[in-house]
Amino acid sequence: MAETRLQAEAARTRSILVAAGASGSWDWDIVEGVLHADARFAELYGLDPEEALAGVSTELFFKAIHPEDRARMRIALAGILGGAEVFSKEFRVVAPDSSILWMHGRGQAHFDEQDMPVRFTGLLVDVTERKRTEERLRVAQSAGGIGTFEYIDGFATATVSSEFCQLLGLYPASVLPVRTINGVLTEGEPLLIPQPGHDTIPETLDGVFCIVRNEDGMARWIARRGEIVREGSGYRLIGVIYDVTAAKEQEARLRDLADTLEVRVEQEVAERREAEEALRQAQKMEAVGQLTGGIAHDFNNLLTIIIGNIDTVLRRFDSGGDPRARRSLENALKGAERAASLTQRLLAFSRRQPLDPKTVDVDRLLAGMSDLLTRSITESIAIQIVADDDLWPVEADPHQLENVILNLAVNARDAMPGGGTLTIAARNVELAEEGPDGAPPGQYIAISVTDTGIGMSADTVARVFDPFFTTKEVGKGTGLGLSMVYGFAKQSGGYIAIDSEEREGTTFTLYLGRKTDRGGDSFESPGAQGAVAGGTETLLVVEDDDEVRAYTVGILRELGYRVIEAHDGVSALRLLEREDFVINLLLTDMVMPKMSGEELALKARNLHPHIKVLFASGYTRDAIMHDDRLDIGVDLISKPFTYVTLAGKVRDVLDRVQA
Amino acid sequence: MIPDSVALGELERDALTEIVNIGVSRAASSLRKMIGDHVTLSVPSIDVVSQSRAARLISEREAADLVAVRQDFSGPFSGRALLIFPEANSLELVRAVTGDSLTAQEVVEMEHEALTETGNIILNSCLATMANMLKRSLTMTIPEVLRGNGATLFGVGANETADGLVLFLYIDFAVRKRDIRGYIAMIMDIPSLEVLKELLDEFIARVVGTDG
Repeated sequence: MAETRLQAEAARTRSILVAAGASGSWDWDIVEGVLHADARFAELYGLDPEEALAGVSTELFFKAIHPEDRARMRIALAGILGGAEVFSKEFRVVAPDSSILWMHGRGQAHFDEQDMPVRFTGLLVDVTERKRTEERLRVAQSAGGIGTFEYIDGFATATVSSEFCQLLGLYPASVLPVRTINGVLTEGEPLLIPQPGHDTIPETLDGVFCIVRNEDGMARWIARRGEIVREGSGYRLIGVIYDVTAAKEQEARLRDLADTLEVRVEQEVAERREAEEALRQAQKMEAVGQLTGGIAHDFNNLLTIIIGNIDTVLRRFDSGGDPRARRSLENALKGAERAASLTQRLLAFSRRQPLDPKTVDVDRLLAGMSDLLTRSITESIAIQIVADDDLWPVEADPHQLENVILNLAVNARDAMPGGGTLTIAARNVELAEEGPDGAPPGQYIAISVTDTGIGMSADTVARVFDPFFTTKEVGKGTGLGLSMVYGFAKQSGGYIAIDSEEREGTTFTLYLGRKTDRGGDSFESPGAQGAVAGGTETLLVVEDDDEVRAYTVGILRELGYRVIEAHDGVSALRLLEREDFVINLLLTDMVMPKMSGEELALKARNLHPHIKVLFASGYTRDAIMHDDRLDIGVDLISKPFTYVTLAGKVRDVLDRVQA
Repeated sequence: MIPDSVALGELERDALTEIVNIGVSRAASSLRKMIGDHVTLSVPSIDVVSQSRAARLISEREAADLVAVRQDFSGPFSGRALLIFPEANSLELVRAVTGDSLTAQEVVEMEHEALTETGNIILNSCLATMANMLKRSLTMTIPEVLRGNGATLFGVGANETADGLVLFLYIDFAVRKRDIRGYIAMIMDIPSLEVLKELLDEFIARVVGTDG
């Protein structure tokens, strides 16, 4: 019982001593080989305090030392006994209650006159707490990859941890010159640790630095954090550093992504803007086309009236009449016809010109044109027409094809103001691979118009088919000629190529596909028109424009036909339903309010399957046109038409054997 | 990088540290007698590194130019011992060992003499103690003073063979409140270090005995 109390008392005393930090002192008499120790030392070592004070065996010095540290301490003591002056070691002591304490032993050797060590005195200090703190700090540093540093201003060195050295790729040391530390920074970086001479107190230790590790030359990013402690007029920096390369790289990648994203978005937007611009341009051209087409439609109606009426007057003009009045009428008619050809071109540009393709023998067509060409081309230009003997037939609107060739010939003429040679050639061409203007392989008839004139620059060639593009003086050309040529080529499923060199001349070549199925179509040459022939059949004329209708009906009646008329589809149908007469031919306008010409024709055919239909139009949208061509078996007369053309067309349709 | 046959174990390192400690303590005692003032020398740690690493190590720690006292030694293990100071510390050391009575001019004049003498005392003492404690004998050449950076002192990059190893010891001087750091480097080839290691093992066996 008493012993227990004593033990408890001893434990309390020891804990107080431990708390105070000092855990004992010793005095080792080297000459006598005796160890004297104080009460605290004795208690720590489990010795009798009085015996310890009086002197015990020096071997007891090692008794309480942890077995793993014992060899190290024996070597250290060998140093002291051999003549070393200073003793400063940390080691573990196993206390009587088996607890392990870290001790820091600081000692000093005392020498006699002959420099022989005679005494060794020292003090034991319990550093268990510190040791554990150090251990925690060490683990925190190594596990967290964090290096610590401490710098007092004015010094040329800083105290650092080994992790600090490791991060910077420096050889481990506890003290490093500030210059060495800052030496790892890449050029232009602020200082990691202030260098002597920089007397201003830093505002913050927060910062990121780019370094090149001394050991391996690797570039890394290092973050610095810490506190600034003011001491008197100076300061002390206590901080940590750690590697933030991964985060920095991630950040850089993200920034890079964001940067390129911006560029990519810009590119997309630019492309889109271009596409929108192109679309806007296309829409504008479409609108211009519609407007042009619309104007042409109204114009054609007006021209039908003008031409028709002049025509009628001229036909009734007796030969004894005033020749001047007749000439005036003829001039008016010419003017109206020119206006009609202009509207025709406008329609060609808007690609709304109704084509009436037929199987055409180009050789015959060219032969028929020679008179026309000779009249149009000045004498200073020699004209050659060369056509292969066995030319394949083509399918095209012969009138328009004639127009195209004439257009090209007139252009060629204008390119040769000083005279030259105009060659119009036609030959069979077999393309084995993709030809000019993207023509796919196949059989073509190539019609070329060649001049020996001024030629065109590449720039002009590129724009030559643009509507309203002209190199001619103002008032000399409409700028619609070549765009009409282009429109025709495309509408006819053909291709067009230009070969031109400045001062050498130009060749336009039109490629038209070979017509393989000759069918029952007869060759037609627009140059050969029969005499005006009338008839006695019953015709129904449907036209919403009263004046055009009156003119049309007038011609037809003059020709001997029996004509009934209607101003719209509905009243026309009523007439068709009547059974008291048979209508042989329906002549209807294409574009009418409420019911279109096509719709009417369809209903008329339902009522009278054998009725013949002739459409009249100055402007044909896609009503009866598919792929820009008239459906087979559909006949069309273009406005404005004359007495002769209407008479011919009507007779033609009436006489045709129903398929 | 360091062959196993020469890499020092923890106890061997402790033993060598203590032996050199005895040497510098004796040197301190000699210096004390010479200048009649308090001089303390101690060796806190030791490393075995390659010559090029030693050059890098010292240039990292010492940004300035260096001054060194060199002595070659031969015996069972042979090599070259260097006592190295930062050049800035060298005059300070001269002042410390000569007292503050000299003028600046005299200090500069005395520098070479003082360095040679101080280096001789410290290196001699260390090598003699090593020979004594390891129960062998060594002979030494006359000391000479060298100046340069880490690379020149350790013969890195020069024609000299640089495949030797360096026993690197840090020493703290405390002379009249002056803080002077210095280094002792012993450049040895591998056979010499192998012998040294064997001798250290013998020493440990003698000191520790069967205990521990």
